[in-house]
Order: sequence, then structure tokens, then C-alpha cells
Amino acid sequence: MRSDAHTASPAAPAPPEQSLGTTLRRSTGMIALAVVVAWAWHGTGFELSRLGGSLAPLIEFLDRMTPPDLSALEVAMRSTAETLQIAVLGTFLAVVLSIPPALLAAANLTAAWIHQPVRWLLALLRGIPLLLLALMFVAALGLGPVPGVLAVAVHSVGMLAKFYADAFESARPGPIEALDSAGANWLQRVRYGVLTQVAPDLARDTLFRFELNLRESLVLGLVGAGGIGFYIQLYIRSFRYTRVATLTLVILVIVVLVEQGSVAIRRRLS
Amino acid sequence: MSEPVLRLRDLRVRYGSRPPVLDVGALEVAAGEIVCVIGSSGAGKTTLLRLANGYVRAESGELEVLGTPTRFGPDSGTDRRDRMLRQRVGFVFQSFNVIERASVFDNVLWGSLGRQHGLGALLGRFPESDRRLAMEAIAEVDLLAQTTQRVDTLSGGQQQRVGVARVIMQQPELVLADEPVSSLDPVLAEEIVELLVGVARRHGKTLIMSLHLPALAQRFADRVVGLRAGGVVWDGAAVALDDTAIASIYGSESPPPAPEVGQ
Repeated sequence: MRSDAHTASPAAPAPPEQSLGTTLRRSTGMIALAVVVAWAWHGTGFELSRLGGSLAPLIEFLDRMTPPDLSALEVAMRSTAETLQIAVLGTFLAVVLSIPPALLAAANLTAAWIHQPVRWLLALLRGIPLLLLALMFVAALGLGPVPGVLAVAVHSVGMLAKFYADAFESARPGPIEALDSAGANWLQRVRYGVLTQVAPDLARDTLFRFELNLRESLVLGLVGAGGIGFYIQLYIRSFRYTRVATLTLVILVIVVLVEQGSVAIRRRLS
Repeated sequence: MSEPVLRLRDLRVRYGSRPPVLDVGALEVAAGEIVCVIGSSGAGKTTLLRLANGYVRAESGELEVLGTPTRFGPDSGTDRRDRMLRQRVGFVFQSFNVIERASVFDNVLWGSLGRQHGLGALLGRFPESDRRLAMEAIAEVDLLAQTTQRVDTLSGGQQQRVGVARVIMQQPELVLADEPVSSLDPVLAEEIVELLVGVARRHGKTLIMSLHLPALAQRFADRVVGLRAGGVVWDGAAVALDDTAIASIYGSESPPPAPEVGQ
């Protein structure tokens, strides 16, 4: 028997309370986000009013870059090819280096005392900036594209091995169990149960990492680790902006072409 | 009579502090028997089968599979002894557990992995004799026309046929089938049960199969074991399974309706 008559349906109990505390708790995330953005805004001295006056210098800068100096085209093509080669070889080595730690980092393939520490190590590796690695390898091996390749390879493992491990973990457990129940050993279960299921994911992750490597390799030349970055830096410092323009255009074309190709392949793999 | 293929004594399986999901005083299955395990959902059918395959660990009691006392649990496939025993026990799954991106032929061939050693099998090179056996297994389940097709292009019934062919390929002594037809319609369900029982009889294998529907058990099994709330409440020849027995297994709830096809 209900005494209060304000409920429409006598069968349904009262809805859960909505207190001020609940509302505040639910807004915590938004408030924290606002604080962080305000901190960054204030810290960088960001002012919208300053953007208005920046238009004229920007136009002047672009004006100094035109027309692109096509005599730099040969250098641009050659050094872009080197950057592309660094990205290709670096990604290839990264794939080879990533598979063992990825197998160890997959929760469905190894015990927690193995995959947890391996995941921490990979996170640590991801924390090392590419330029720092490049500097280290240049110091060890001298100038040129070889330290660049190694820097890209090592830098990629942190992310690629984690992505591979995540892909391994996304394999449906049933088919793996079916192979296990047929007496398959660990390597056979990985090869037939896991890799067969997630092969498209691995290919997609690898192509994505290759796109990133191509873009990140552009800066390797700044520290003498090969590629187009060296000439960009050289021409900027000697104020030859029309040559910078040529280099930029070549990079733009290559990056767009590679990304279009990569996206097309990745889409076909899904 | 030779020694039993499966022997349980005072066996109890429990998850956490809840009441045991399986509590069996004594159960033996002889070589060559076709046994159907029936009962409502949660009666312990799957636990019983997974126990026999080593995927569920008992809390107490004795368990012997193919004359070998088993103590093994999940994730012990790398253990050599367990791997050898597991290779002698085939399993047909409720959800088929086929590798969808691979062809029918590969799925069936990989049923032989338990006896493949070394690098060749990892590189996809299998002995010619096993490749021929795979074709025979595919023929036996009537999927020859689909041999090179990817499994995810097949219907549910066809995918379970792949599961059956994979078990034929494995050449186990004991076949366990856990609700192999519960996700199929009645026509396909009957076809698959008939196929599995036929395979077991032709190859002289012991078959223990859990089924939700008593009607199929009545028709195809030699012997029926009725489980209720984790205990064996009925055990006898399939021909002796009458309405009273079914009522005692399923309790006050009425048993699921029998499929109307082929009755």
C-alpha cells in the first residue's frame, strides 16, 4: 500500500536520488579539463588579439618562398628518396624487432609476470624521443642514413610491439583452444591460431607505423641522421626560401601519395 | 572389457564458494560407447566434458582419462605429457571454433598439429600422408565442394562439419562434443548428430556428447547420462529413457520441445 499519491505508477519504486554531490562528481572530468587548458593557455602567453597582426608577416614569408627554385628539385628528389628509404628499412627492422616482445606482451599468450614487465619496458621505449635516439646513433656510428634507420627502428618498436600484442590479444580464444585440444604446441597455436586470425591487423598496424615513420624521418637530417631534413635546415639557415619551397612541395607530394596508398591497402585489409 | 576410457570417482568441481557445479560419485565410460549427456542449462554438462579434456580442474576426487590419471588444468598445453594426452582426446565445440580466415582444407589439416613436430609444420609444410587424410576427412563430412573455400563463407552447419572433420583428422581415441548442435536449427542439428555418431561408429571411437534435447539422445545414443544440479540423476540405455526419466532429469520444468523433423 502506498500512501503518497504523487507517483504516477503505483507499481514502480521511487527513482534514485539526484543530489548536488552526484552532479558535482559527474562534472569532475570537465572541471579538470578546463583547469588543464587554462594552465596551458596562460603558460604559453596565448593571445587571440596577437593573431590578427600576424597575417602580414605570414604573407611576406610565403612571398619569399615563391616561386619555388626548381634547381633544388634534384636535391629534393634525391634526399626525399633517402628519407623514404630510411622509413622503409627502419619499419622493416622494427617489424622484425617487434614480434618477439609482442608475443611476450600478449596477455593471452604469456603469464602476467612476463607480459606486464614487457609492457612496461615497451612504454619506456615509447618515451624516448626519436631525435634523442638519432643523436645517440649518430654519436656511435657517425653521420649518414644508417643511424637514422636504427633510430627509426628502435623508436618504432615501443609502439609497434604494443599494437601487435593488442592484435594478438584480440584473436578469438575459441579457435586457439581448439588447436590446443588437438595437441598443438605453443608455437603452433601462435602460428595457426593467433597469426591466421590477426594477420590483417598486423599488416594495418605496420602500414600505419610506416606512415608515421615517413613523417618523423623528415626531421632526422637536423641531427645529421640522413634524409631531406638536412637540406631543409641548410636552406632555412642560408635564407634560400625558394629552395625550401621546392623541398616542401616534394615532401608534400610523397607524403600524400604514400598515405593514400597506405590507406587504400589498409581499407582493403579490413 | 578393456579399461574404461573415462573414469570419475567422488569428483567435485566448484567455482569459488558457490555450491559445486559438478558432484559425481562414480561414472565410467567404456571404449566404443556412444554416450549422450543431457540436462538443463547449468546442470554441469559442459563442466563434465571440459573436465575430461583438462580445461576444468576438479576440487577433489579422482579422474582418469584413457587410463591416465589427470591433474592438468588450463594453459598447460606446453607441458609435453599433457599435450600427448590432449592429442588423444578430440573436442567438438558448441561455437565450432574454426579459424574463419583459413580454408576448409587448412582447418581440417591443422587438426593433425598434435603429431607434427619441427619446423616444417610451422612453415605450413605437412606430410603428404596427412594432406591425403585431410581430403578423406573432408569427404567424410561431405564438404569436398568447399575444400578451398574460406570457412567464414560457410553456413553454421557446414562450419560444424569442418569441426567434425578436424576431429577425424586428429585421430583421437575419445571424442568429446559439447552441445555441438545447440546453435543450429533442428534439421541441421539432427544431421550433425547423425554425422558425429556415424563417424564415431565407423572409426571405433568413444563419443561423449552433451545435448540440450533429449529426443536426439534417445534416437542416436547407446547410453544416456542425465545430469541435474551437478549430479548424475539418471544413467541407462538410451532405449530406456522414457518420459518419467526425462521428467526426473529436467525436474518440474518441462523438457525442451523435441524437434519436429524426422520424428
